[in-house]
Amino acid sequence: MAALLRPARWLLRAGFAPQLPLSLRLLAGGPGRPHAVPCLPAARAGSVAGGLLNPARLYAIAVEKKNDIQEEPTSSLRRTASQFDWALMRLDNSVRRTGRIPKTLLQKVFDNTCHSGIPGGNQALLLLRSCGSLLPELKLTERTEFAHRIWDKLQELGTVYDVSHYNALLKVYLQNEYKFSPTDFLAKMEEANIQPNRVTYQRLIAAYCNVGDIEGASKILGFMKTKDLPVTEVVFSALVTGHARAGDMENAENILTVMKEAGIEPGPDTYLALLNAYAEKGDIDHVKQTLEQVEKSELYLMDRDLLQLIFSFSKAGYPQYASEILEKIKYERRYIPDAMNLILLLVTEKLEDTALQILLACPISREDGLSDFGSFFLQHCVTMNTPAEKLTDYCRKLKEAQMHSSPLQFTLYCALLHNKADLAKALMKAMKEEGFPVRTHYFWPLLVEHQKKKNAQGIIEVLKGMHELGVDPDQETYVNYVFPSFESVKSVHTILQENGCLPKSDTFSQAELRSETVNGNLEYVLSFLKSNTLPFSFNSLRGSLILGFRRITELLYKDGRYCQEPPGPTEAVGYFLYNLIDSMSDSEVQAKEERLRQYFHQLKEMNVKIPENIYRGIRNLLDSHHVPELIKDVYVLVDKEKIDSRKTVQFASSDLESTLERLKAENQPVGDVLKQLILVLCSEENMQKALELKAKYESDMVIGGYAALINLCCRHDNAEEALNLKQEFDRLYSSAVLDTGKYVGLVKVLGKHGKLQDAINILKEMKEKDVLIKDATVLSFFHLLNGAALRGEIETVKQLHEAIMTLGLAKPSSSLCSPLVTVYLEKDDSPAALEATIDCFRKYKILPRIHDVLCKLIEKGETDLIQKAMDFVSQEQGEMTMLYDLFFAFLQTGNYKEAKKIIETPGIRARPARLNWFCDRCITSNQVETLEKLVELTQKLFECDRDQMYYNLLKLYKINGDWKRADAVWNKMQEENVIPREKTLRLLAEILRNSNQEVPFDVPELWYEDEKDSQYSSPSTSPVESDLQKDVLKACQDKNNTDAYDIFLKAQEQNVVFKSKTYNILIKLLLSKECLAQAIHVKDFAETHIKGFTLNDAANSLLIITQVRRDYLKEALTTLETALNLKQIPSKVAVTRLIQAFALKGDVEGIEEIQKMVNGLEDSIGLSNMVFINNIALAQIKNNNIDVAIENIENMLTSENQTVDPQYFGLSYLFRKVIEEQLEPAVEKISIMAERLANQFAVYKPVTDLFLQYVEAGKVDDARALLQRCGAIAEQIPIFEVFLVRNSRKPGKAPTLQSLLGLIPELADKEAAYTSLMKSYALDKDVTSAKALYEHLTAKNVKLNDLCLKRYACLLKNAGEPVPFPEPPESFEFYAKQLKESKENSL
Amino acid sequence: MAAVAARSAMVLRASINRPVAFVRKIPWTAASSEVREHFAQFGHIRRCFIPFDKETGFHKGFGWVQFSTEEELQNALQQENHFIDGVKWTAKRERPPQVNHRKAAQSHPARSTPPR
Repeated sequence: MAALLRPARWLLRAGFAPQLPLSLRLLAGGPGRPHAVPCLPAARAGSVAGGLLNPARLYAIAVEKKNDIQEEPTSSLRRTASQFDWALMRLDNSVRRTGRIPKTLLQKVFDNTCHSGIPGGNQALLLLRSCGSLLPELKLTERTEFAHRIWDKLQELGTVYDVSHYNALLKVYLQNEYKFSPTDFLAKMEEANIQPNRVTYQRLIAAYCNVGDIEGASKILGFMKTKDLPVTEVVFSALVTGHARAGDMENAENILTVMKEAGIEPGPDTYLALLNAYAEKGDIDHVKQTLEQVEKSELYLMDRDLLQLIFSFSKAGYPQYASEILEKIKYERRYIPDAMNLILLLVTEKLEDTALQILLACPISREDGLSDFGSFFLQHCVTMNTPAEKLTDYCRKLKEAQMHSSPLQFTLYCALLHNKADLAKALMKAMKEEGFPVRTHYFWPLLVEHQKKKNAQGIIEVLKGMHELGVDPDQETYVNYVFPSFESVKSVHTILQENGCLPKSDTFSQAELRSETVNGNLEYVLSFLKSNTLPFSFNSLRGSLILGFRRITELLYKDGRYCQEPPGPTEAVGYFLYNLIDSMSDSEVQAKEERLRQYFHQLKEMNVKIPENIYRGIRNLLDSHHVPELIKDVYVLVDKEKIDSRKTVQFASSDLESTLERLKAENQPVGDVLKQLILVLCSEENMQKALELKAKYESDMVIGGYAALINLCCRHDNAEEALNLKQEFDRLYSSAVLDTGKYVGLVKVLGKHGKLQDAINILKEMKEKDVLIKDATVLSFFHLLNGAALRGEIETVKQLHEAIMTLGLAKPSSSLCSPLVTVYLEKDDSPAALEATIDCFRKYKILPRIHDVLCKLIEKGETDLIQKAMDFVSQEQGEMTMLYDLFFAFLQTGNYKEAKKIIETPGIRARPARLNWFCDRCITSNQVETLEKLVELTQKLFECDRDQMYYNLLKLYKINGDWKRADAVWNKMQEENVIPREKTLRLLAEILRNSNQEVPFDVPELWYEDEKDSQYSSPSTSPVESDLQKDVLKACQDKNNTDAYDIFLKAQEQNVVFKSKTYNILIKLLLSKECLAQAIHVKDFAETHIKGFTLNDAANSLLIITQVRRDYLKEALTTLETALNLKQIPSKVAVTRLIQAFALKGDVEGIEEIQKMVNGLEDSIGLSNMVFINNIALAQIKNNNIDVAIENIENMLTSENQTVDPQYFGLSYLFRKVIEEQLEPAVEKISIMAERLANQFAVYKPVTDLFLQYVEAGKVDDARALLQRCGAIAEQIPIFEVFLVRNSRKPGKAPTLQSLLGLIPELADKEAAYTSLMKSYALDKDVTSAKALYEHLTAKNVKLNDLCLKRYACLLKNAGEPVPFPEPPESFEFYAKQLKESKENSL
Repeated sequence: MAAVAARSAMVLRASINRPVAFVRKIPWTAASSEVREHFAQFGHIRRCFIPFDKETGFHKGFGWVQFSTEEELQNALQQENHFIDGVKWTAKRERPPQVNHRKAAQSHPARSTPPR
């Protein structure tokens, strides 16, 4: 509270505006209230770091709703937009949480942006602006290099730079203290034909000033003056720095006076420049004085500014003053990320001690001692090679301060991760001293690193280190991390002995045994086991043993020495085997995890979206039974009514009158005609006549007549008559109900004429008769009340409102309540208005028109009442709401100075809804100045969406057609480093264009139907060109390839060249329509006419696919090569198709060439290594090199360096092709290979795949024979489940599933089996089989899941059969999701 | 290393009802013996696996603990907080639906990777 109210107190101290003497009681009464939030733990601080020089708030932009990134290729523009949102969100989140952007993240966003096609202007801006102080972990030079890399790459990709990009680059230079020549920079801009603007000059001045070059700065300043550009505070601030850096403090100080003379009050920025200047000289006294002066001038320095001051002191070699500045920190909301940024920067600058000081001062909740803070600091210290002694000391301090629970361990982790062996060793020593355990596996990362480099000496060093620390390596250390790097275990033994670090225990010999076992050194194992006398854990050996030496199993089982543990010797060898393999190795555990994931994935895939035609079917079913008749009835009714009304109108009132008289004379019933006549009179608004008629034929009146008459009287403001009629009507038809509008009309007219009680009675009647209240009715209530309020009828408003509320005719809302306040405002009675507002809140929790009330109070200077209002609001709705209310009221009344102080309150943050509300208000009432002030004052508001604010401002300028101010906004946005969204740029461009001004930036295109945009964005194109281009794009959008191509030919004839994007779109369309020749023609044309024209990823992929289809394999290969050379990522389908085509041709070289080309890109493409293995084998088989193929595969599966885990070694494709193509000798040899792998190497995947391929090909006998030869197939349940699930998705696969279940009866009980079968039946609409399955399952008491039941129920219903159980009510999707979730939760 | 929480879930074996807990977010400082030691207070541990990444030398932060009996597993799951190296975990009990028991368990038996 205290913090929140601080500025309010300033208001008081400043004496406020004369007309507004707020008393102290309002604003000083802080301490008693509990809910202020002066500081928050990091997680919630949610702020934006600003970096020291750069207000990073530019990221604090609510990211617009993200579109799905994976959209169809044609919508590349939309993709670019969502790409921007994605990038912005990623970077923004990082800055908010951690005050920085990690280099890897920026790199990732950058790479992603590059792959997205042509990066848009705002994407480029986003990336460039991230290269400054938001990268505190990088050295200044590295940051600038990064910026340059981005600049060049994006330019290469076709991004169009405008002045905002150059300005952003300048800002990065300034932040990174990059030395460059401003004149060269200007020359570069000129070369690119970009006009520098005010912001450019300002930054160039700053660049000169940063190196103390006043002369250079003056030159630019003079130039600005000739151009009549305004000299702002920014320039003066730069000059302060400039003079100071030139060593002329006196002149630096003088700048402030000069400013004042020029009519510009020095603001926080200027003072900050001065403060930094003193700090760089280590002049703490002047710093203090200036800080006091700042406070006196009612200016407000943010924590971020103070942090920068600390940095200046530290960097200049005066870290001793940091603590004094730290004391002045107020710990604002955004403090933590800002502080993190500074801490990292200090570490980068090798000023770790100051960094620690700031870290320790961070206001972090330390109660639970569980949330660690400071890891980022430790990590960065490790990266920056901070000496170990310092680091251990820091760790101790962090621990003492209860900031971090395990700093040493964390630091060690970082050291290990970066493979800093010496540091790691020192840390472990420290840990040991502190009494923490040092564990064997801590050394593994170090060993791994040496192992990768085969650095035996390094490994010995690590082992020595372990020895020194008293850590004995265990078996795993030796087997997994030590032995592989040496020639033989023997040599390790010798070397360890030489170095004196061979442990005394028998671990080494056991490890040796294990290693020898795996390596197949049978003799050694045998002799060891025979001679072994030591206690020995059989468990540790058996895994490697059984796999390496099946021969020994017999020995083991006959020899009692090794059989103490279960399983005992009596068990069958089969079971033993089972158990052994079961006693898993690491890799198997991993495999299991992967399996589960895979399973989930399949389940997910299984739940395909319910086809739309089912919905349509259900609808049709309903249609055919019920709905059409109803529709028809309604239709008929409607029709009749129409005819009726037409008839009525045909009669003129005079005709009717004579008819009426005639009927009356003939003594016939006149009711109908009378009603008609009255209605006609009403529509003619002839009240007099209608009333006379009613008096004349009183006895013949019917309901309709009365209703119409009452309404007529209300319209004519005749309350007396209306009431009479109503009473008469009630007497005659007491239960009849008028329609809502007529009741409201009555209430209105009665209220207006002071017949309050009667009006309320009508309201009561409405309630009693349960009249339908629509939204429009509520609106009528408002108008009714508001009308009364404007007439100043206090009682009417109050009583009617009260009645409406108590009767419950409408819910309380701010609009309905507002007349209660309006009535006093109209009477200029502000105390009563405030009272009414507060009263409303007490009754309905609504504060109507508080803004207007406050404005009124401020205008009148009613201090006490303002105070009362504020007290009330902050008590009921919180300080934040109160501050906003006050802020808006000050703005509205033109008290900008006061408004500024309110919005500078520490702890206040942007409330987008409220800000937008006020913006809209300003726009509707065309308050330019107010809105401008709002935008200006919210500049430093925490989390304020600057782009949105400027967008609102532009909206208003657009209404006023004020392009000059709009152009100024463009400048201001650059000055403020705001990244405009595309909509903002478009709006700005539109304003400029409407006023026939040049648009100084590349306008993000709308989708191509937007005529103006396409015309605009290529200003050089003639109308003909853009028309043709538009036509092509239109045709492409309509997927009309013939037209599109014709237009292209026409354009070609006229020698019209489109933009490259257009060609890409056209080519893609042609390819998707299989018009290869045409596509190639377009491509050739584009290539010869546009310099550097290239197809994009998607188009190239399509080209490859089409070429493969046409069997132009060589050309396809060339296309692939071209695409890869352009650093494009071709689609998986394209590459796979090409590989398969080569395989079927038997072209091994072709495949290998592709393999070489995509080497390293497999993951990006999503290409499995198996594609190559399968297809190379297939190609070899095609060339009759069956033996070579088989040998290769077998080697891969049995060798030591497996590239693919056997469980993912899927050869189904190969098997299927071989079976399909009836390559009998190959089938036979493959079968032999698969069986051999299963029987001798326990690799079951190939044989199972083969088995399944037999089943799928309908060769059940072959499958059965294989199963008999290799029984282990039956145990491969997970593979079968995958197979079942996959096949159940394709129609007509039920027989395949059935034959598999027939072969493997154990499968039948698996959920995956019967659900798949049910799905397959449902897909094939096979009711009989489904029924049989269901009955079978029910008989066995199997509980089916809801999805399965739903599927069965739908099948039955569609076949017109009854469903014998309650059908699950929700949709397929629902149950699929439910199933998926329950499975996910189970992990 | 942030606060560490372990969520345990049972994974049951179809043939020999094996009580296995899946443990996540194990601090890097703890390896199999530490985890085993921790869970030993709940009963006899038959097996404890913490897979290590041979590329980095660190483990992947998860593992499996197999108890002798279902009861012991229940004991472990019932305790809300688990500590290793002074780091707190919370164990939540979640019973997977049937498919999963089988699915998870069955990747054990028949196929094993030959050691490399």
